[in-house]
Parts: sequence; C-alpha cells; structure tokens
Amino acid sequence: MKARAVAVFAAVAALSAAGGAAYHLWSTGRSAGSGTDPAAVVERVLATPLADVAGGTREIGQWRGGVIVINYWATWCAPCREEIPVFVRMQERYGSRGLQFVGIAFDQPDKVAAFASEFRINYPLLIAGLETLEQLRQAGNRAGVLPYTLVIDRKGNLVSREPGGIKEARLESLVKPLL
Amino acid sequence: MRFTLIVLLAIACGTRAAEPELLEPDKAFRFAARLSDARSIEVRYQIAPGYYMYRDKFQFTLAPAGARVGAPQLPPGKKHRDEFFGEVETYRGDLTIVLPFELADASVPALQLSAISQGCADIGVCYVPHEQKAELRLASLAGGAARSDAAPGFFSGPGAAADDTLAARVFEGGFWLAIASFFGFGLLLSFTPCVLPMVPILSSVIVGARQPITKTRGFTLAAVYVLGMAVTYAVAGVAAGLSGAMLSVALQTPWVLGAFALVFVALALAMFGLYDLQLPVALQSRLADASSRFHGGHAVGVFVMGVLSALILGPCMAAPLAGALLYIGQSRDVVLGGSALFAMALGMGVPLLAVGASAGALMPKAGPWMETVKRGFGTLLLGMAIYIVSPFLPVAVQMLAWAALLIVTAITLRAIDPLPPGAHGFQKLSKGLGILALLAGLAYLVGALSGGRDVLQPLSGLRVTETGGASTETPFERIGSVTELDERIRAAAGRTVMLDFYADWCVSCKEMERYTFSDKRVRARFRDMVLLQADVTANSAQDAALLRRFRLFGPPGIVFFDRDGREIEGLRVIGYQAADRFLAVLDQALAFRR
Repeated sequence: MKARAVAVFAAVAALSAAGGAAYHLWSTGRSAGSGTDPAAVVERVLATPLADVAGGTREIGQWRGGVIVINYWATWCAPCREEIPVFVRMQERYGSRGLQFVGIAFDQPDKVAAFASEFRINYPLLIAGLETLEQLRQAGNRAGVLPYTLVIDRKGNLVSREPGGIKEARLESLVKPLL
Repeated sequence: MRFTLIVLLAIACGTRAAEPELLEPDKAFRFAARLSDARSIEVRYQIAPGYYMYRDKFQFTLAPAGARVGAPQLPPGKKHRDEFFGEVETYRGDLTIVLPFELADASVPALQLSAISQGCADIGVCYVPHEQKAELRLASLAGGAARSDAAPGFFSGPGAAADDTLAARVFEGGFWLAIASFFGFGLLLSFTPCVLPMVPILSSVIVGARQPITKTRGFTLAAVYVLGMAVTYAVAGVAAGLSGAMLSVALQTPWVLGAFALVFVALALAMFGLYDLQLPVALQSRLADASSRFHGGHAVGVFVMGVLSALILGPCMAAPLAGALLYIGQSRDVVLGGSALFAMALGMGVPLLAVGASAGALMPKAGPWMETVKRGFGTLLLGMAIYIVSPFLPVAVQMLAWAALLIVTAITLRAIDPLPPGAHGFQKLSKGLGILALLAGLAYLVGALSGGRDVLQPLSGLRVTETGGASTETPFERIGSVTELDERIRAAAGRTVMLDFYADWCVSCKEMERYTFSDKRVRARFRDMVLLQADVTANSAQDAALLRRFRLFGPPGIVFFDRDGREIEGLRVIGYQAADRFLAVLDQALAFRR
C-alpha cells in the first residue's frame, strides 16, 4: 500500500513537472524558428546587401578574408554609444592587420551619419534592413537586444556573439588570436 | 512517503527559481490596449523595474485602411540630457497613452492596433524597435469592452508574467478548448504552494470523520470538498462576467492583499501549534446537527470547508486568476466564465481527489510526523504571506523577511545542531535542507544589508559594487549644491580645486573616468589638488543651479579654481580629453598664479 501511494505521488509529480517543462519549452521555443545553423546565418549576414549612410548599398561579404566584427547598434541606445570609442580605437590599432569593424544601425540614416561624424567613426556603418532583425534573432539574439556584436574569423566562422556592451580587454582577447 | 512530500515541496518551491536575467521585450514592456470610447484607444505599458521606454519613439498604426490614428497623448516623462540628442524623455513603471482615432467606415467589426516602441534595460542593453499588436473589437464598444492579445495585468507579482497571458491566449480556441485548457491550467496550479495548505485541511476533514474510512467514502468526501472549491471559483467567474474587470482589480489593493497575508500568518501560527483553529462553536454545532439529521450530513461540512478554502486561498491564486477573470470580465460571457473557472478548480482538485481516494493511505497518520508536516505547511504559508504582499513592499524589506523566514526554518530543521551518532537518513536529509535554508537566508540577509535590489539574485548588490569599484575609488568628493561647493572651496584654501560635472548618462564623463582619470600620471597630479564632483544625473533644482553658476548646459564639464578660490578662466575642459592633453591642462592649473 505504501509503495503504491509513493508511486501515485511520484507519477502525479512527474506528470506535472513534464507539463511545466513542456509549457516552458513551448513559451520560450516559439521564436526559435529554423535555419539557425551558425554557418548558414553568417553566410546570410555576409550576403545581404544593406544601405550605407552615403546612400549606396554594400554587402559585408566584401570584407571576407579579414577578421570581421559586426556590431548591431543604434544612436538612441546609450549603452551602444558607450562602446563605439573602443571600436574606433581598435579599428585604428588593428585595421592594418586585417581587422574590420562594421556597424549595423537600427536607426535613421541621417542620425547615423551625424553621429558618425561627431564620434569620428572610422569604419563602415550600414542601416539595418528588413532581414536584419530576423538574422539577428537567428544568430542567437532572440530578445533582440542592442548592442550585439558578432566576431567572424578569416574563414567566415562565427567565433563569438556578445550581447550587451563589450569590454575592450575582452574584445581584444577575442580578436587578437584571429589576426 | 516522507521523501515524496519533500520532493513535492521542492518542486513547488522551484517553480519560481528559473527567472532569466534579461526579460523578453514582451515581458519587459507589457502591452495592452482597449477602446476607452468611440474615438480613442487606451494603450497601457507595464514597464518592468530596471527597464525604461523612450517617449518620442512610439509609433502607432491601425488597420484596416479606413482607420486613422491621431496624435497620441503622451504623459510627460522623466527628462534626461543626452549628449547626442539633447533632451530625452523616458518612462518607467506604468504608462498609459491615449490614442485618438478616426474611422471612415463604421461597419468595420474590429481594429488591429500595431504599436512599435523602443526601450532599454538599466543593465546596459536596449531592444530593437519592438512591435506589439492588439485587436480591438468595435462591436463590444457599447459596453466599453475590448480585447487585446495580451491580457492587461493590473498586478505585478514576479510570477504573474507568464500566467495571465497564457490564460488570455487560451481563449483563442473554442469553448471546449478553453474548458480543457483551464482544466490543465488548474492541474498545473495544483503544484504551486497555493494548493498545499488545502491538503492538511482535507486530511483533517477526512481523518476526522467518525466512521472508518473506505476508499469510496474518502473519494466522495474529497470530491465534495473539491466541488465546494470549484463552485466558489465558478461564482467568482460569473461575478467577473457580470461586473466587468473590477473584481480582480479590487483584489489587488494593498489593503486586501495585506489582510489576506495576515490570514496566512494566522493560519501558519495555527500550524505551528500556537493555538487551535476551529470553526465557531455555533457553526460547528449546526453542522453536527445537520450531520445527525441527514445521512450524508458530514458532506455538507466538507462542502463548506471547500468553499472556505477557496475563499481563503483565492488571493494566493490571484495572479493567474486575475488574468482569467479580467478576460472574462471583458468578454462578459457568463457561461464561459463560470464553466472555465469551474474546470480550473476541478483541475486543481485532482491531487486532492487522489489523496481522498487513497483513504488515508497517502495521509500522514497522527503522531510526531504529522507535526513536522504541519510545521512545513506553516513555513510555506508564511512564505505565501510574504509573496502576496511583495508587490507593495520595498525590496530590502522583502529580502529581510525572506532572510528571517529561511533562517528560522533552518534552525527548526536543526541545521546547526550536531547529528546524533547513527543518525537516521531522514535526519541527515533534514539537516542538509536546513543548512541550505540557512545559507540562502544568510545570502538574503547579506544582500538586504548590502543594498541588493533583486529578490531573485540577493547578492547582486555585492557584484555591482565589485565591478563598479573603479569609479568608487576615484578620489572625488561629491557636492550637491552651490553652498556646499563654496564651503569646500573655502576649506581648500591654498590648494587648487578641480570641479567635475558628472551624470550617469554622460558618455564622455565615463570615458574620462575610465581612461583619463585612471592614468598614473594624472593620479599623481590629483594628489596636489582638491577634487570635487557634482553628480547632476537627477537634474534637481540644486543641480540646475550649479550648472547655471558656470553657464554650463550639462556635463561633461571640468572647472578649475586657483589657490584663492577663484575660477581659472579659459581653462575649462568640455568633453573627452585623453590623458596626455589633460595632463597639460592640469599642469597649467597647478602652476596658475594670478
């Protein structure tokens, strides 16, 4: 009798735990979608043409072969702005060794252009397009946070994804071995 | 047997543990919309603590094409000076926006509202512009009701976020799907601590019966108890359907929740054996009367106990319940409301039915073991009391309360008593749990006393001071007003004074701190100066006066005073300067002689 009682309790507990887990998966997993294989995501990010601040279009793929740091940001996003000077410094320091920063802004082109000249941004800035948000989510940033930074090595492999502000020391330790 | 109960308790307690560090935008900025009249929509955002939204970044659009949005009426926000944009206004907490609209075609049955917003979290990230949608049914306009796809929550318990939207989403299917979902929802709810206090009530009801208990009788009694509970919830559902949303809102006031917390504390004290909880004698004798007159008379008492339990535990369920009641209130569907909540209560009652059907086999026999279980439930009840009033308590108070509860529990579990030689396995387990509780309690105590602000991460306060160490060790003395500034300058007689204007939002101020002020050569010069800093983040009247005095519009700005306390004109530093250039300025200031 006692053993049966224990079994009943355990079964009910297990069922409800399974239910809870299923709900959790259901509620968090809905936005996952397919095609989140990192290589495929990077390929799409590199191949998508985006507008630049000058009115032209560019593909990030044109810097293939270098170490590419893609920074998703916006001028209205204070934590994004704080790390821009770090990128400017590192572009200056390592640009000649093959490091290429690219900024992708969720913003209006004129705001981005004004910001770029005020902060003397020395790397290309592109404007997020229709696909960008979906790519950002597929790259692992489901909540769509900014800033978000991807580090891609010379062979086009996704080396690191950094949600939120990134410290100079951390970025340097990521990038230096790849150069 | 004892072990399974412990496992159950652990599961129940664990449901709140897995809170992500960063909220999904839908949870950080909880969105709801309803028609307030024929010409305007009321849009509500519930902004989670630690998150904020930008006032000038909202975009609202309506579909179908015949509907047009007017200028949204945005309440004033909190003003910040932004280095790049000038003045920026942000919102925190609850936000209500009134959105006027025009409709060319009055026969449109429903409007689709799309709201795009932008916001950030204090921990240093923003969200990409985020779209949220709601459907507004014009047909229901006469009653002032509408429908949005995220049930507006008028409560802010940390566990509430997922439950209420779930409850609202459930209704998108048909009637029977809603009923089935509510039953399942109730089943899930039955493993929250809310239902646990019902187990000892039910056990005392069944064990206390005079006749020897058979399985059928046990099951029948449990069923009657659950029925009493379910009828109560169904009545709540019908009342919500009739009265609109008011019921759940009425439940969420500090007074009501405070009163229920007191009831919980009273129940807990009874569990600890401080006194015996009994129905009033008059009621008891009437029930005894009834049971002697009718054959199934005992069932009436059990039914009443079910009703009472539902009433007592109602507020504990308030968070998930409020979402459901709110929707029912808006839909004004009495039948659906009553049936859905009835089904939910039945779902909640399933484990109780299992307890009843086992006819006491699952029930602890009277004896010292029963006392332990009762103390366990008492502790849970105290926990529930803290939990339901937590939306109205400062975090520090909440943390102190949790600390007290956990530490006292640890002591009753004999966490610090030595184990007797040859201790029973259960004693070891209980001591282990006790030590866990003790450590958790200490963590809360330390967290509360060190200014931690997150109940789920009690020690995060310590982490912040650790990473923020660089800025706290800057040698600046903070000043808050013009008079304070004058005093400090007088006190500095004979030394050069540097005044730095600072604000949390000032990017270049932070760069100065990080890269320039930390430079060794700069620090060496600093030793010969008096360093003052005005933190104008709050932008108070005092701050404004300080800025005006130096004709500054805001930070960044560094002003120097000579040894006689007069400002050194022409030597101000506005904006970021690298250490080398800044050193030259410092040298000039130090060498300045009038």
